[in-house]
Amino acid sequence: MSQTETAPMTTDGRRGDELLVVEDLQKHFPVTRGVIFQKQIAAVKAVDGVSFTVRQGETLGVVGESGCGKSTMARCVMRLLEPTGGRIVFEGRDITKLSRTDMRPLRREMMMVFQDPYASLNPRKRVGFIVAEALEVHKLGTEAETKRRVQELLEVVGLSPEHYNRFPHEFSGGQRQRIGVARALAVNPKLIVCDEPVSALDVSVQAQILNLLKDLQRDFGLTYVFIAHDLNVVRHISDRVMVMYLGHAVEIATRQQLYSDPKHPYTGALLSAVPIPDPRAGRERQPIVLEGDVPSPINPPNACWFHPRCPRFREGHCDVETPPLRPFGDGHFAACHYPLERWPMTADEMRTVREPAAAS
Amino acid sequence: MALLDVKDLKTYFRTDDGIVKAVDGVSFSVEKGQTLGIVGESGSGKSVTCLTIMGLNPKKNTISSGEARFKDEDLLHMSPRRLRQIRGNDIAMIFQDPMTSLNPVHKIGDQLAEAVLLHQDVTKKQAKTQALELLKAVGIPRAERRLGDYPHQFSGGMRQRVMIAMALVNDPDVLIADEPTTALDVTTQAQILTLMNNLQKDFDSAIIIITHDLGVVAETADDVVVMYAAEVVEQGSVDSIFRRPHMPYTWGLLGSLPRLDTDLERLVQIKGQPPSLLNPPQGCRFHPRCPYVMDICKKEDPPLKPVTDDPAHLAACHLDEETKDREAQKLIEGTLAAAS
Repeated sequence: MSQTETAPMTTDGRRGDELLVVEDLQKHFPVTRGVIFQKQIAAVKAVDGVSFTVRQGETLGVVGESGCGKSTMARCVMRLLEPTGGRIVFEGRDITKLSRTDMRPLRREMMMVFQDPYASLNPRKRVGFIVAEALEVHKLGTEAETKRRVQELLEVVGLSPEHYNRFPHEFSGGQRQRIGVARALAVNPKLIVCDEPVSALDVSVQAQILNLLKDLQRDFGLTYVFIAHDLNVVRHISDRVMVMYLGHAVEIATRQQLYSDPKHPYTGALLSAVPIPDPRAGRERQPIVLEGDVPSPINPPNACWFHPRCPRFREGHCDVETPPLRPFGDGHFAACHYPLERWPMTADEMRTVREPAAAS
Repeated sequence: MALLDVKDLKTYFRTDDGIVKAVDGVSFSVEKGQTLGIVGESGSGKSVTCLTIMGLNPKKNTISSGEARFKDEDLLHMSPRRLRQIRGNDIAMIFQDPMTSLNPVHKIGDQLAEAVLLHQDVTKKQAKTQALELLKAVGIPRAERRLGDYPHQFSGGMRQRVMIAMALVNDPDVLIADEPTTALDVTTQAQILTLMNNLQKDFDSAIIIITHDLGVVAETADDVVVMYAAEVVEQGSVDSIFRRPHMPYTWGLLGSLPRLDTDLERLVQIKGQPPSLLNPPQGCRFHPRCPYVMDICKKEDPPLKPVTDDPAHLAACHLDEETKDREAQKLIEGTLAAAS
């Protein structure tokens, strides 16, 4: 399985400008029983064999329902969590097994923006300190230089340099998220992993932050891994998109391909579930409503992880054979035995399955 | 006579810093079988409006005025005893966070049965049966076995279903849903919205849905109220609001939305922050953030008045009709972003 899942890296033919390569990443959390003699009785397979690449200067969007392993994947990539298996290659260097000390100089190359702007800033520290902390840790510049840099950063993200001495509680949610972005930018990173950076914000503030992230990418040549559950937001900001389900990547494609020609039924269901802010088009919309909830990752379904909820489920095939990530041309990959022939589709059309796609 | 008629509703909170005008003169009405969407940013007074109608604001420190007529009875000036009879029976509410609105130490079945017992003259056993029926109606699988479960054993989507079941226990005439899908994934959101839609068809209830997701409003609501800084700035049928919005704030809201059906390089930004309600700006409350601001906006609060050719569509803005039509058209075509 890992062989076929690494396909996206080797077949898109544009090696060389890859900033981040992730191969068969796994993160299993042990479930233990007992107090003193803790015995592992099961494992939560939060991330189970995810492979993808991120090229210099592009934005990779990652979507999926809550609990699909998006955030765990991001934390593993940042080495905030130790991956159980797989390889993470950053700028051509395998960082999977680097020690804390060896990792430290690399930390300034990859930064993170977190979801909750209320919880991710220390309420007892001043904004100036929060933004400057990374500069001090990496010993970049004198005190005066640091202060100047921080004030510059505050301006870059649309705050006023006078905000330097304020505390986080004096800011609104959107402003706090700007502080989070300034902190991530402080050390001139190459890669910024944004974990649901706009989910907690109002639409108007969300637009401000999305515009800011786009501007910064243009001005500083940043590379983003952008995690969100809002498909509209991901479409707006991403060049390529990866859809995750239950710890697996089920589809990877360019934005254009994914939104106009999805192959995986799960992607189709997600797209059809997005409300359209247009009353006429919205009322005609026929969402493909998925039954039930995401299964538990402790005891995931056999073979195709999506089969218990899939409208195209074929007994004796989908629950027996795990579908590999199969190429659909131009770097479009999907893991499905019965990929969608076209898009859009109604729920009924989706149920009537044609012949299985010939394995190419 | 509308089923629920709210007129000039005002809710002020006394705080240490002064009086916060959380709702300042809001009027709307809902008919049977209709859905009203209330949209606006956080802190615009959407939720407080509904809490006031339900009489759920803390008694201490709250000053409410205006009227909220439900079947010719004023909810704001009725005895607490009568209000308790109506609340949960004729008017029910679904709260935003399904995690915190269920009691964690009671079984789901008991919580549902309690709502039945409070308003109907039935035995405990009958109440239990009714609870089971409801759980089935909202699509909980293996409902018999889930009655004895605690809320933590349910997923977010299922808890929201339980909340809906609880709200529907007594076939309410009005259902108020405060951000019912905000905490949920798109797939679960689609399930819940479909469910609410079907239930509305079955019971012919009126629904008030509060949300900041304009997509949800466009698809579920018949009428829309746009709130900004405790006031209604625009209201009308869902088609008129989305097709010919007449107020720069509504333009901003619509334009700030990344959407699947259009490609925009940049989103429309509403600059700045919503104002403090302790001390709202003079004149039009939106003027400090409005890209079209004129001198008159800073002095005079624009009245909520009908637009020229559509008496049901109200908007509060000093701009002339011609500019409004032109800008609204630009917004629809997706070119407003480039201009701002």
